[in-house]
Amino acid sequence: MPDRPERLLEQVAALAADLGPALAPVGQLDLLRSITAAARELFDAAACSLALLDEAQETLTFHVASGAGAEEVVGQRVPVDRGIAGWVVSSGQPVAVADVAADPRFAAEVAEATGYMPRSVLAMPLQTEREVLGVIELLDQRADSLVGRRDMELLGLFANQAALAIEASRVFSSLGQALFQALGMAAAGDRDLAASLDELARRSPGPAADLAELAGAFARLGQVGPAERAAATRLVRDFLAYAGGDGRPS
Amino acid sequence: MKPAWSWQFEAGRLAPATPLPLPSPITAEWAWGGSRGAGVRVAVVDSGIDAAHPAVGEVAGGVALHYDPEAPGQVRAVEGPHEDLFGHGTACAGIIRSLAPEAELYSVRVLGARLTGKGMVFAAGLRWAIDHGMQVVNLSLSTGKRDYFAVFHELVDEAYFANVMLVCAVNNVSGPTYPSQYASVFSVAANEATDPERFDYNPAPPVEFGAPGIDVEVPWLGGATIRATGNSFAAPHIAGLVARIVAKHPGLTPFQVKTILLSLASNAAAPGGPDGDRHLLLR
Repeated sequence: MPDRPERLLEQVAALAADLGPALAPVGQLDLLRSITAAARELFDAAACSLALLDEAQETLTFHVASGAGAEEVVGQRVPVDRGIAGWVVSSGQPVAVADVAADPRFAAEVAEATGYMPRSVLAMPLQTEREVLGVIELLDQRADSLVGRRDMELLGLFANQAALAIEASRVFSSLGQALFQALGMAAAGDRDLAASLDELARRSPGPAADLAELAGAFARLGQVGPAERAAATRLVRDFLAYAGGDGRPS
Repeated sequence: MKPAWSWQFEAGRLAPATPLPLPSPITAEWAWGGSRGAGVRVAVVDSGIDAAHPAVGEVAGGVALHYDPEAPGQVRAVEGPHEDLFGHGTACAGIIRSLAPEAELYSVRVLGARLTGKGMVFAAGLRWAIDHGMQVVNLSLSTGKRDYFAVFHELVDEAYFANVMLVCAVNNVSGPTYPSQYASVFSVAANEATDPERFDYNPAPPVEFGAPGIDVEVPWLGGATIRATGNSFAAPHIAGLVARIVAKHPGLTPFQVKTILLSLASNAAAPGGPDGDRHLLLR
């Protein structure tokens, strides 16, 4: 283990990148599966599917589905500039359509995106206060479902929970990225690493700010002195040993 | 199926609204009787309007706005005709047309290909509507991003002082959304009414009005008609009625129009009397 703080931090960043997804309480796909299965059950629908926006925010990709047509819908991609899902993510407003077949063009789109021809669709945006993540769709809800007439409102609350869970899950996968970004900024300029990490923390919106702050703490820890640095190194080694599957820290 | 906030307008939940005890009461006949919204400029800030749809008819003008980092203010405006990308703008335009057949409809398209910069595009759409003399603006969308609080607040105040009636669908989220949250806008959620002229006034805002938005027949793309539910279909019902009031009584301010609407709400109680269904008596 080299004793230069920069080298150490590089390793910390790499470690964080690896550890992030590993530390996530549940994998992103498992999380999405559980969300759609729960929504379908709670709202008594024939099917439930969930699509997330890609990074460029131009396409929605259906990642998971539960119920009728589920196999066909997974992997389907729809552009955000058409269809009911597109309008929902663009406007941030939910919409329900009762007689999908009334509009042949619309019906074809829905059938393509859902894998089967539903009579009704309820599309709800998945959004937090920070961003719109995607859309959750319920197909053919039973009229006398358990949640009854306030289902649109309740699905909204459910979708908010789901969106927060997805956002939280993404934090883990971007843990290393946040550190690497900071390291990149430090390497490119002539600035103090801790200062640039702090700057990243200030500039990043949402949960990434917390991560950058954490990274900033790492950076300062690396600079406090040889004894502290040695302690930090030991800690990282132990983590590495643990993460590498060598069992408990020695 | 009921959208968020609709529960406030359920029978038995809605408290009576108390109109001003005027010497001669405001009637629907006085407010909009005989008015077809002639000459009133109504903007639909949405996904565009399909002017070819028989339920919409002529679109007087409009603008399509989209995010462009190279453009001034990062938003590029293309004036003139454009298509509806989703069908929702056409639905709103059709509802307004059904209530105010002679209103001049303008399409302000802010929903488009990309989501990047959509808050800026949305704000630019509202700015366009104010700058181009729109008298009624239907906004079936809103943003929950706190960053836009001040931007929209400024625009909404400007609209208020210019007598521009902003009619906003409330969002489904529990937190505040802009501009539907501001006091000067006409914020609308869906009620269970099927009569397009029947609406409620909520004495416990922030959501002030309830109008039909559950299982309503609306025009959609390709000349089709669909049955849809959402607060976004309730707002154009109020926008249509406001257009008729403004056509008949030019120069009204937003607070005057709200006073008129409260007086004519289905839950407006007779002043000083028990909770009578004044709305029905006056028709």
